[in-house]
Amino acid sequence: MKPFEVKDCALLMRMSGLPPAMNLRELRDRIAICDEDVLYHHFCETTLRPMFDDPDYRNDFAVWSKLYLGDRVLAERLGILDPYSFAGMEELRAVVLEIIDDRLGELTVIPWVRPGDEFFFKQSTTVVFDTGERIEDPKDLHRAIQRMTNGSVYYHFLEALRRPPAGKDDFSSWLLDGGEEFEPYLHILGSIDFQFHGLAHLREDLARALRPAEEGG
Amino acid sequence: MSPRLAAYEAIAGTSAVTQLRRLGEKLAGFRVVHVNSTREGGGVAEILEWMVPYMRDVGLDASWEVIRGTPRFFEITKNVHNALQGRAVDVPKKDWRIYQDVNEENAERLRPLLEEADAVIIHDPQPAYLLKLCPDRKGKWVWRAHIDISRPFRPVWKVLRTFVAGYDASIFSMAEFAMPLPHPQFLVPPSIDPLSEKNRELELSEQDGVRAEFGIDPERPLLVQVSRFDRFKDPIGVIRAYRLVRKVAPVQLVLAGGGASDDPEGKEVLEDVMEAAGGDPDIHVLLLPPNAHRTINALQRLADIVIQKSTREGFGLTVTEGLWKGKPVIGGDVGGIRLQVADHHTGFLVNTFEGAAHRIRYLLQHRKRAMEMGNTAREFVRENFLLTRHLRDYLALLLTIRSRRGDHVVYL
Repeated sequence: MKPFEVKDCALLMRMSGLPPAMNLRELRDRIAICDEDVLYHHFCETTLRPMFDDPDYRNDFAVWSKLYLGDRVLAERLGILDPYSFAGMEELRAVVLEIIDDRLGELTVIPWVRPGDEFFFKQSTTVVFDTGERIEDPKDLHRAIQRMTNGSVYYHFLEALRRPPAGKDDFSSWLLDGGEEFEPYLHILGSIDFQFHGLAHLREDLARALRPAEEGG
Repeated sequence: MSPRLAAYEAIAGTSAVTQLRRLGEKLAGFRVVHVNSTREGGGVAEILEWMVPYMRDVGLDASWEVIRGTPRFFEITKNVHNALQGRAVDVPKKDWRIYQDVNEENAERLRPLLEEADAVIIHDPQPAYLLKLCPDRKGKWVWRAHIDISRPFRPVWKVLRTFVAGYDASIFSMAEFAMPLPHPQFLVPPSIDPLSEKNRELELSEQDGVRAEFGIDPERPLLVQVSRFDRFKDPIGVIRAYRLVRKVAPVQLVLAGGGASDDPEGKEVLEDVMEAAGGDPDIHVLLLPPNAHRTINALQRLADIVIQKSTREGFGLTVTEGLWKGKPVIGGDVGGIRLQVADHHTGFLVNTFEGAAHRIRYLLQHRKRAMEMGNTAREFVRENFLLTRHLRDYLALLLTIRSRRGDHVVYL
């Protein structure tokens, strides 16, 4: 079993180059053509951004629908989407467009916002670097996680879901090499619902889930 | 590790500081020069005051240069500043000529340093023309706009745009402040230094001293707005809100601001504020010197509620300062205040002086709720708006522009 290499990352946001959306129709049209990285940013990278850690919804489209368009129905429908349950961003995009099209069909007036409340399409560059830290024994993983930065937690548990082999976090991939002994941990990791927590909370959840029984886990 | 960085471990956490060191190692010896227009006064100078030494501490060869200008130059750049924030202030051709001449004089002095640097970060419009005057530049040039230019007075923006379009990248505090430019536009919210004179913990005796110095009654609630005397900060609106509250509660108001060497309009606004205050002994209008950081710190700590009722705002570092001191903040529903004041969680966003008065009254009546908001506010700043996060963003940006790739993920 190779040692686990602890990486860290920093998120650098930038404008996508798309014009901002002033109403729901424009939001729909921009989502239809935006880069996958833009969708990924607004659905998945919100946890690493400076923002209040207890928002109603994790994705920016749902938050904007509620706060600025004033459309709580649309916000609820978009807010429940779990981006990690889709095979890729294209599949997610198709569902988002379907939801918005359905909503546009229900409304008699297209909701719009005041200048200053537009939706701004952004994306990010993730700068990934090796921390130099190595974990030799899976039994030490929970302690190492507790020392990790938010960036490390994000990179190994969330960003990893986008990297091949898709759909698997780095901790699970590593523990798989450890043999049957660690199978129960894989199930626990797979059952963590991280949609409603910030990264600090997720770190606690992960550390607790991976704590061996003899240490109170 | 430098003692300065080590001191942040206790506040921001060991992992945040370790992260900075690791990013800094990848940029060891990288020559970066910041250029702005004032050494003291205003948010930009405050940021550079800490950022440059900390960049050095993590291994970069960082320096800070300030352009020199005539009083006329600063009057013109103040007009440019106001126009970029949306006021219909025309800047005639002859003024742009003066602007360019002053930049040329500064280029004569700074050119060797700027052309040799690996990266040059030009802050705000005043020194933006320097790019055109350094044709043999070797590094990447980044224009850092600290103000909200989302709805500028277009004739002025059209001219400035020709000066900044040639940069390799630009930085805005928020997406809402950006204008389309033909290069990557990065988003980096600013931050505060929790160990600076303006934000460090203060002894109660020192706070009491400041209270006594300005004749503030310890028995009655205190509202504090700290900001430059600038119309966009709406100090008159704050006085109106105070008067509405005063009908039902014996509050006191402090409007404290410093002058900045690049802000000649402040005097005029201050006179208007004094007139609006009308000699009310419970309105304390304080014009403080640029280095009165501890006084401002004490005033914010003495406040029951911090106010920042801006009608246009860049980021609003005074909001961050208030939140960090555990105060609920009532802020204008504009600009960077929206990013910091989570409505009903860390304070309230308001659009009118009536709205401000309403929320002040609410917080005065719900002291426990106000305290909870203050605690939430402090943790919110710890996670998002301390200089450790800000420095990390700059290091990531320098690494990104150095890599010359536009990939979603950059592996170092």
